Amino acid sequence: MSPAADPNRQPRRGSTTRRESGYKRPVDIQQLDTETAEGVDTSAPATAERPPATSSVSNGRRSHLLSITDSALGYMSLEDMLSELLERIRSALEVDTAAVLLLDEDRGVLVARAARGLEEEVRQGVQIPLARGFAGRVAAQGRPIIIEDLDHADVVNPILRQRGIRSMLGVPIHVEGHVIGVMHIGTLVKRAFDEDDVTLLQLAADRAALAIDNARLSEQRSVTAMMQRSLLPDALPQIPGMRFSAKYLPAGSGIKIGGDWYDVFRLHNGRLAFVIGDVVGRGVLAASVMAEIRASLRAYMMQGHRLTEVVTMLNELLVSVGSNRGATLCILELDPEAEELEAVIAGHLPPLLIEPHGYARLLEQKHGLPVGVRIGHTYEAFCYPFPTGSRLLLYTDGLIERRDESIDEGFGRLLAAAETAATRSDSSLADRVYRTLLDETLLEDDVALLAIETMPLGDTLEMTLPARPNVLGALRDTLGRWLRAFDASEDELFDITLSASEAATNAIEHAYGAREATFTVRCEHDGRQATITVRDVGRWRTTRPQSGGRGLEIMRSLVDDVKIDSDQHGTVVTITKRLSHQA
Amino acid sequence: MSPLNIERIDGVPIAHIHEDIDAANATATHQQLADALGPDASSLIVDLSETRYLDSAGIDMLLRLSDRLDHRRAKLILVIPDTSQLKRLATIVGLSDAIVIHPSLPEARQEAAKRPPGQVAAHPASGRTTTG
Repeated sequence: MSPAADPNRQPRRGSTTRRESGYKRPVDIQQLDTETAEGVDTSAPATAERPPATSSVSNGRRSHLLSITDSALGYMSLEDMLSELLERIRSALEVDTAAVLLLDEDRGVLVARAARGLEEEVRQGVQIPLARGFAGRVAAQGRPIIIEDLDHADVVNPILRQRGIRSMLGVPIHVEGHVIGVMHIGTLVKRAFDEDDVTLLQLAADRAALAIDNARLSEQRSVTAMMQRSLLPDALPQIPGMRFSAKYLPAGSGIKIGGDWYDVFRLHNGRLAFVIGDVVGRGVLAASVMAEIRASLRAYMMQGHRLTEVVTMLNELLVSVGSNRGATLCILELDPEAEELEAVIAGHLPPLLIEPHGYARLLEQKHGLPVGVRIGHTYEAFCYPFPTGSRLLLYTDGLIERRDESIDEGFGRLLAAAETAATRSDSSLADRVYRTLLDETLLEDDVALLAIETMPLGDTLEMTLPARPNVLGALRDTLGRWLRAFDASEDELFDITLSASEAATNAIEHAYGAREATFTVRCEHDGRQATITVRDVGRWRTTRPQSGGRGLEIMRSLVDDVKIDSDQHGTVVTITKRLSHQA
Repeated sequence: MSPLNIERIDGVPIAHIHEDIDAANATATHQQLADALGPDASSLIVDLSETRYLDSAGIDMLLRLSDRLDHRRAKLILVIPDTSQLKRLATIVGLSDAIVIHPSLPEARQEAAKRPPGQVAAHPASGRTTTG
């Protein structure tokens, strides 16, 4: 039976001039799936197309159409826009309720997102399983459905019945051919929705789709920016005698988070770890894998595992959690004392080493598969001398790969760029290499680049450090390297370093955790003795609750002289120790 | 990040410290070591063979840990090789007067084996259990 010819049709409440404006085509039963009173779908083919959005809109409805496609809606927030759109639909189609439900694909349910006349649907967070109930069937079938009489239909949502709704029309909300939700309208009196109603509602649904899609994109963009920030180091370590620089550039519009990352961290015993990697794919899922890899690598390295073990453990972890995303990575460990670099490569492009005299070469070693691909895969580590003055460049493929050239051409350009950049010092090494190789406007892929430079410490060393206990380790490492450079013995190295560390601990306590407080450490030697001066702006506390007395006792036992000068401007601790070896 | 690995051999917890202990991590390390004892072990071996530096905050931490274990009638045993710089430091600050120190892990384990589990007053019924 054609709904348009329904003899039981009731006069609608608040009926205005809408129906007076002319010709109404009967609903095409082939296109529209009208449910009979028994709640059984009529025999519309499952492949039915949704009606063309622009068809059969009568002149008199243009104003309604305009109200729905009004571009001003685009400037509202999604919540406001949907709410306003539903209100306009309610008035244009003279219905009592209008609602939008969006599909949660992971859980296979439709969730009420906005409603007019059915506000409780949103408040209560109504969820309709896909393919069940009215909205669920609209979404599953991807086409409009009409219910003439709710009393006899399969409806999941109790609110619809409680509100006393009699007739309903629902249309799918499509984005790029996929159903992302459902828009439905309802009346408290029985009504036979016709093709014009369907057309107009579908237009509104298309308008909503645009807004929802935009809102999701912008939401993802801000999540992306936030995640990317959290996945890259806040600041590269400040280590005297070393300089770090890095670049990270996301490709395209920045909608999708890149899968590239780098990391630098200090290990125990003065060693340093450098990581660069690239997770397959982009977006939030790739980023979460990246976050997991970054945290796991740090944890394994801090626990003191060897590089090959670390990469093997990471591989097992990724395969076992079944993230289904591989990652290429290169991890290196620098031992500044031995001036040696160890590297493991898992499917990543080879790091570039610039030797002290300026010659650049790729560390083309045997590399393993990307991590997260095959269980039981083993990785090999290779060692390289890394004397003071050496530089290292880690990068992702976006830096050198070009669409119409071979990878060898890319390597060639990289080597040339590195050697050129090594001779200049107008900006950081990462910046110089990047500028030589890339034009930012042509970025096709994410680019991550990390440069490490080493340089001699010099006879006199002065450092200003934040007054926080976590700088103590790096301070000891630096002092160790400085002392080794002029052949201090192991005993002397221990005594001077530990004493300086005690003095620094005191300076840190003086700051009482004040933000931005700093202290300075000045190291000098004249070949016969080393002098370390630790200066802060607090007062030496003789009555420290715990280790104060012991700290001083240790210093006095280990070095030849400890001088403490304290006045209202601060405290200066001077430590002197004679050196047995004549440098 | 944790500066130590803990293993248990024959019921004896052994903590290998592979990082410097200083003001940055002494408190956290103290807690981890106290937790490592578990409910029924009578000894805790802290292996400092791989530890480079131990400053006054680290020494304080070990002394407090030793007291805390005493309250639980458990014993703290340190491993410091004779060749370690920490050996000199331990002598200077008199650490060996307060805590048993062995030059190697096998010797420390022998010492621990003299104190079989079960002697410990780790059960609430004993009235002497303390966790803090």
